[in-house]
Amino acid sequence: MSVATLHHADVHGAHDTHHEHHHHETFITKYVFSQDHKMIAKQFLITGIIWAFIGGLFSVLFRLQLGYPESTFPWLEDIFGHWAAGGKLKPEFYYALVTMHGTILVFFVLTAGLSGTFANFLIPLQVGARDMASPMLNMLSYWFFFLASIIMFCSLFVQTGPASGGWTIYPPLSALGDASSGSKIGMDLWLVSMAMFIVSSLLGGLNYISTILNMRTKGMSMTRMPLTVWALFFTAVLGVLSFPVLLSGAILLLFDRNLGTSFYLSDIVVAGKILPNEGGSAILFQHLFWFLGHPEVYIILLPAMGMSSEIISVNSRKPIFGYMAMVGSMFAIAILAFLVWAHHMFVTGLNPFLGSVFVLLTLLIAVPSAIKVFNWLTTLWKGSIRFTPGMLFAIGFVSLFISGGLTGIFLGNSALDVHLHDTYFVVAHFHIVMGVASFFGMFAGVYHWFPKMFGRYLNNTMAYIHFWVTIVGAYLIFWPMHYEGLAGMPRRYFDYSNWESFKQFASLNQFISFVAMIVFAVQLLFVFNFFYSIFKGRKVTSLNPWGSNTLEWTTPLRPGHGNWPGEIPEVHRGPYDYGKDGNEFIPQTTPVGEHESHH
Amino acid sequence: MKAFLMVLLGVLIFVVIFQIAKASEYVSVLKGEEKTRRQNNRINAFLLMGLLIFGLIGVWYCNELYYGKTLFPQGSASVEGEKIDTMLYITIAITGVVFVITQILLFWFSYKYQESDNRKAFYYPHNNKLELLWTTVPAIFLTVLVVFGLKYWFKITADAPSNALVVEVTGHQFAWEFRYPGADGVLGKKNFKLTTSKNNLGVDFSDPASKDDIHLSNTMHIPVGVPIKMVIHSQDVIHDVGLPHFRLKMDAVPGIPTTQWFTPKYTTAEMKQRTGNPDFTYEIACDQLCGANHFAMRGVIIVETMEEYKKWLAEQKSEYATLFEKKEETKPVADSVAPKQTAQVLPAQK
Amino acid sequence: MSSVAMEQQQKIHPHKFTLWVAIGSLVMMFAGLTSAYIVKRNQANWQTFDLPVLFWYSTGVIVLSSVTIFLATRAFRERAMLKYRRLLAATLVLGVLFIALQALGFQQLWAKGITLQKNVSFSFLYVIVGLHAAHVLGGVIALLLLFAKAFSSKKRIYNLVPIELAGTYWHFVDVLWIYLLIFLMMIR
Repeated sequence: MSVATLHHADVHGAHDTHHEHHHHETFITKYVFSQDHKMIAKQFLITGIIWAFIGGLFSVLFRLQLGYPESTFPWLEDIFGHWAAGGKLKPEFYYALVTMHGTILVFFVLTAGLSGTFANFLIPLQVGARDMASPMLNMLSYWFFFLASIIMFCSLFVQTGPASGGWTIYPPLSALGDASSGSKIGMDLWLVSMAMFIVSSLLGGLNYISTILNMRTKGMSMTRMPLTVWALFFTAVLGVLSFPVLLSGAILLLFDRNLGTSFYLSDIVVAGKILPNEGGSAILFQHLFWFLGHPEVYIILLPAMGMSSEIISVNSRKPIFGYMAMVGSMFAIAILAFLVWAHHMFVTGLNPFLGSVFVLLTLLIAVPSAIKVFNWLTTLWKGSIRFTPGMLFAIGFVSLFISGGLTGIFLGNSALDVHLHDTYFVVAHFHIVMGVASFFGMFAGVYHWFPKMFGRYLNNTMAYIHFWVTIVGAYLIFWPMHYEGLAGMPRRYFDYSNWESFKQFASLNQFISFVAMIVFAVQLLFVFNFFYSIFKGRKVTSLNPWGSNTLEWTTPLRPGHGNWPGEIPEVHRGPYDYGKDGNEFIPQTTPVGEHESHH
Repeated sequence: MKAFLMVLLGVLIFVVIFQIAKASEYVSVLKGEEKTRRQNNRINAFLLMGLLIFGLIGVWYCNELYYGKTLFPQGSASVEGEKIDTMLYITIAITGVVFVITQILLFWFSYKYQESDNRKAFYYPHNNKLELLWTTVPAIFLTVLVVFGLKYWFKITADAPSNALVVEVTGHQFAWEFRYPGADGVLGKKNFKLTTSKNNLGVDFSDPASKDDIHLSNTMHIPVGVPIKMVIHSQDVIHDVGLPHFRLKMDAVPGIPTTQWFTPKYTTAEMKQRTGNPDFTYEIACDQLCGANHFAMRGVIIVETMEEYKKWLAEQKSEYATLFEKKEETKPVADSVAPKQTAQVLPAQK
Repeated sequence: MSSVAMEQQQKIHPHKFTLWVAIGSLVMMFAGLTSAYIVKRNQANWQTFDLPVLFWYSTGVIVLSSVTIFLATRAFRERAMLKYRRLLAATLVLGVLFIALQALGFQQLWAKGITLQKNVSFSFLYVIVGLHAAHVLGGVIALLLLFAKAFSSKKRIYNLVPIELAGTYWHFVDVLWIYLLIFLMMIR
């Protein structure tokens, strides 16, 4: 395999004859087993959108239960059969939906769909490379993701139901088929799917790192790279270093499940059976899981940060304020991401001293985050702001990042976490800061780069409706959840009506569910806009519709495999010379003038 | 039928939006794209300002509606939890100020610096002093929060006072079990391999300390004003003893016992008065997903005065007595319980 | 273009770089396992074990195979194709021998009562050593591909990169094994 690829890549590197290959391309090599990074990006994006639809639909279903616990919906039984007997979800199925919602959105949408799409699409275009370091591995990365998707999708239909132990799959619940029906075959499929997914992320990540470090065009020094590329670089590094640890944790779990080992199991009596396992530690899994799990949060968030930085700068017609500080803060976040995992485990009986170290390191993350926020604000200050749909979503990202980031200060402080842990406060926190905010970053990216991807624009009116309903809806859904959390209302409950302490929130839950359905419907509008515009959108007529400095806009309207028909342009300056010396923008390819001011 | 109509309505709204969206594209071509773009820009800037104003009003309104439903107006029901409440207020104050300032700046800048013919963007790539400012100021505030936080953290995680009353809490799918050490103040040993349907905690009754231990399910009684130490076990998967009123939470992990302690401030009766809710109950909520009936894993704590507690305790029979006296009854010759004999009756004893 | 190509030539070959990053990633996986091992070791119920003697032989074999693949690379560079093929074949055989010795070592352990399920420490031993053997197997497959290519008459391109990649990976699994062996000996 590698041999064939190498030969192929060498030919590409040595001669500049890509575009001549084009007439050899068949439908299969162009659209299915494509090695063109742009096509692979689109494959990731479209698969991600399909998953987002499924994951979002699941959330609507379980919100239906939470909002209307007394009602029955006969059509549910028509669709889900015995899982919704009598028109009411079974708790087992509810938890399966919750688990799948988390798994799908965290891994398949906001990891693969987000960085898979934009790392593939933007890295070669923005650093000035004809393709990834290894197009073959890149293609494999997508197909492993596809395989993982298929396996996960199949797990939805097994007799005993898909995994239902939460996306964090804590053993022993996930290890014992007797403890939960979702921990039977569904869990094995989950683990196998995740192993495929990890391979996919690693293959992708390796490529992104090598491409960024090795394939930059002439003049594209590291400090001239757009922040998007920097963000995707740190994302890839985080992924490459943390996913293998999850894999090792998952392998041990597979052994415990199927081969009778006791890595995570000890002293267990389940379903009336005394298990022979002794000496394992369930907490060990949590360490291994969160060693990935926490960097994973930044794997999701950093690309959104990078893209928002880029889009805010372009549309404010101003340089991003403090480029080096932005890079430095992302670097700091990436480092700290590896040192804070145990803040998810303050109530597991963690050694208090160890806990205090993690408190300190966790709250340290607020410093680079604050730098980023203030730098974004200063970028907007005295700008000349154009509210393209991409820009609106980028501003929305900043707003959500502030709101969700600040509640992280509550949860990172162990004394408060003891009260707030696993309540709706946490649900509100991570949905705002990592769920919705990252989605906003992703939407911003899609609206901004859609013209480059498909040579057409998305419809603006639908885009504006999408933005306004989504941001108002997101706040309406998640803001009140903080209050539920402050009342100690636990997350992952099927029904609160028997709880004296929590049943007072019934009407609020109903309201949240109602808004959630509207927001979901508006996402369908986006999906429609997306697919409609690929074929029927307004055509792009100018090479650089946003007046942007970066290299992707120097390619033809619909770049072929190889990106630039002629030579790859040379870079002479940083990516953010907007409004400098009275010029509205100065592309990176413009040589530095003699009398140009220095900053 | 209703669902079908809803879907139909949704589709209809979709079609209308789509038609408007398409039409607006043609209108913009007729009117001139640049003109439309500028008009859209003004509208969106205006809406962002609106979002800020209505957002801040909404934040205030949400607080009006739901603050009363949180646990804070009634105060912490444990002495230790008071500090956590203080901590929470400090954090809300600091983050609240930052939240309001940054959101105002974000939307106000967006509105004020919208594209305009009268103004060009101000080239301002960096300013080290400013960046240093917003590195150090957050760092200082965070230090304050960390210092307070850790002070309280070490207090609540410190060892329980020596006069603490020990109660063993065991979680299993999907209920809570409580064990009191009885008169000798020592809990009998357990071994999970001894678990049977009757001896469902796997107590080792060959241990003399186990003879006077009291075993209860789902409801626990504790006296007010005395430190209570919970020793927490799990029999199957990870559970979590969540005590929202006492501001405490601790996982129950199979094979690894954990502890938490607190001093209840108010009896259940007092809390009924404080909250004005005659149905008020201290509830133990399982806070760690533990399977299909996770949501129904409810325990009840009854906090009472010392006298009431002592009276209640005196009425309780030891687990040993309940288990083996019954056995005696089935035997033809009922006699006083002989510990040695019963120890042999137990299965799997080594 | 030529200037771009020139500049890219000076840097490390992208595939080699990719391999190094991949090695970093694999290191993280084994670091995860070995640190889990250390954490578990400090808890109750840990039984120590002696490694089978066969693991020493397998260590010798894999070190030797590192030497042969190093020589094979040199032979390839000198265009001594016959020598290259022989050394490559030798490496391949040694690789398979290594895996076989590991399997036999497992058999010995099992016979001594050190079985997979008996104690967490034993489970760790099997998982860590087994996972390493799986990585050697991956290397063997890569070598097989190279080997097949060395005999195919179709292409005669002297491309050094594949053999260098295989060599780097092979040295990595070798060093990894030595690390694991020392780790398992020192920390039991």
